[in-house]
Amino acid sequence: MIDQRLLELTELVTWFPIRRGVFQRVVGYVRAVDGVSLDVAAGETVALVGESGCGKTTVGRSLLRLVEPRAGSVRFAGEELLGLPPRELRRARRPMQMVFQDPMTALDPRMRVRDILTEGLDAYRIGVNAAERTARARDLLERVRLPTEYLSRYPHEFSGGQRQRIGIARALSVEPRLIVLDEAVSALDVSIQAQILNLLAELQAELGIAYLFVTHDLSVVRYLARRVAVMYLGELVEQAETEPLFAEPLHPYTRGLLAAVPSLDPDVRRIEARVLGDVPSPANPPLGCRFHTRCPEAMARCSREAPPLYRLGRRAVRCFLHETEHGSPNCPGRRAG
Amino acid sequence: MAAAKNDSAGSESVRVRDLVTTFPYGSRRVAVVDQVSFGVAPGEVLALVGESGCGKSMTALSMLRLVPKPGRVEGGSVRLGETEVLELDVPAMRRLRGHQMAMIFQEPMSSLNPVQAVGAQVVEAILLHEDTTVRAARKRTVELFAAVGIPDPRTRIDAYPHQLSGGLKQRVMIAMALALRPTVLLADEPTTALDVTIQAQILRLMRELQRDTGTAILLITHDLGVVNEMADRVAVMYGGKIVEMGNRRAVLGEPSHPYTRGLLAAMPGRARRGEPLHEITGVVPQPAEWQRGCRFASRCPERLPHCTDQPAPRSEPSPAREVFCHARVGAPRDIDPGSSRPVVAAEEGE
Repeated sequence: MIDQRLLELTELVTWFPIRRGVFQRVVGYVRAVDGVSLDVAAGETVALVGESGCGKTTVGRSLLRLVEPRAGSVRFAGEELLGLPPRELRRARRPMQMVFQDPMTALDPRMRVRDILTEGLDAYRIGVNAAERTARARDLLERVRLPTEYLSRYPHEFSGGQRQRIGIARALSVEPRLIVLDEAVSALDVSIQAQILNLLAELQAELGIAYLFVTHDLSVVRYLARRVAVMYLGELVEQAETEPLFAEPLHPYTRGLLAAVPSLDPDVRRIEARVLGDVPSPANPPLGCRFHTRCPEAMARCSREAPPLYRLGRRAVRCFLHETEHGSPNCPGRRAG
Repeated sequence: MAAAKNDSAGSESVRVRDLVTTFPYGSRRVAVVDQVSFGVAPGEVLALVGESGCGKSMTALSMLRLVPKPGRVEGGSVRLGETEVLELDVPAMRRLRGHQMAMIFQEPMSSLNPVQAVGAQVVEAILLHEDTTVRAARKRTVELFAAVGIPDPRTRIDAYPHQLSGGLKQRVMIAMALALRPTVLLADEPTTALDVTIQAQILRLMRELQRDTGTAILLITHDLGVVNEMADRVAVMYGGKIVEMGNRRAVLGEPSHPYTRGLLAAMPGRARRGEPLHEITGVVPQPAEWQRGCRFASRCPERLPHCTDQPAPRSEPSPAREVFCHARVGAPRDIDPGSSRPVVAAEEGE
């Protein structure tokens, strides 16, 4: 099983400096990602979920080194990406692509679809001549179920759903093994979202691409992902296979998150506000367990001690409530609270 | 539409009838709100649900006569008790807004003044509509902030909008909307920009406050989960028209219109993992492309030959339930057989 790991993040740390004053002195850090470990196997879908400011988007950007992590390790297909010089990095991360939430800002408005789809081919010198590249661009459009006449059009001529198909086609152009989907269907209407989710499932079945699905939408997660990692204030708080996680969430935050999801069953109205208040600032996360200020089950020690990530079989949970069950701490780089 | 006249308007806080709002597209004006009729009773939540561009927000803006130019309300009626809102003069309209009919928007930032403390904005709203002292209005504002769950309200009334989180700003908006105990509250995607745990808090709050005040709420949303949790009745909009309306359980449990059915089947939350989601093919048509008949016809799996030509007829499959669909009334009536040519060929090549 270990051999099949395509992506392996270990204790990833990405902080953003807060600068003040005339000399832009660093006065503190936003601890966007603070020790996240996660892996994705070839061809599988892993969801990274959490609310705004939890650091999920920064994890996605860090592993492509669109932002520079401060510490930890990102291994892709066995190769360590952190520390690679720029030229080497470009080669190594080619099989890892990203699709963003807002396809309008992600596509260059001055480029025709043909050029958007062949830019990656040119950059990586795939396809020898222009005719061959155009043929590839045409194939890509067919793959994402768009008419090939669209090759000569510009992004603004398309609807949100069509633009997201173009974004996916662009990601596919360099034959990726992993696509990071950052809220890729969140801005779409339900009827269009269903089309894109079906397309993603088909592409995965045909091409064996792995997805890291970064989202706040739990119903999409449940439908799509095989495994789920839940983030809160820069840390993973729970990790499990999808069905067990939804059937029996262990961390009080995960429980609160699931209780807050509106029901779609007309016989069930269940929404519950278990998690109260607002997320604290990641520039100044609470001492002890980062969730204790909003936790309905907080104990005295939670404000003093930071819980490690306890392994419980195939799951992991960062909460003292699960310390005594069978838990053995599994947190090599544990920091003092 | 005809049945609306039979409703006893006295039992409703607001009654909208045959509302039409148009925008210019090229050389012609298109009704982006097209013959919309509904009522909301005191203490009731009517959810107006649909995808982007269906006209749901424009319906609310029309009710408050806040339609941005070059759009304009062309016809119909909005009755608030004895008052015909569409006939009021400007000063009377200004008094009515906020006082009898208030609105909450999706983006609280765009509706709050960024250079004025949030408490002062609520105080100002109270003073504008009520004959009271600054001191009393301020006291009331602190009470309202506490009621909507803003921690430390005495300090927070002096905060500026940018110092508050999205959830707190939305609470301020709700406090402001409720400051004057409006008869009707128009809530346009009030929780869409918020995280799910904050959304749960705000939805609970709206429900509790409504229980206390009896305000009629028109809840505008694209989220069928929010509809299920909040609504008493549901109106589904598509292409500027209401296509289906009825009790929440009936519409969500036994949807009748092909669009409502398709929408519910497309929800990942209702699907099983590994099974493809139901797709509504095609894209939402732009108003310039709207046809005379049913606007869903080009995407409808149950399309009949006359659907694109003839406006969808109203039927009442059960009491208090309305559906606008040719396929639900059987054979078309009072149309010239010669005019009902097949429409399949007119669509994009298949």
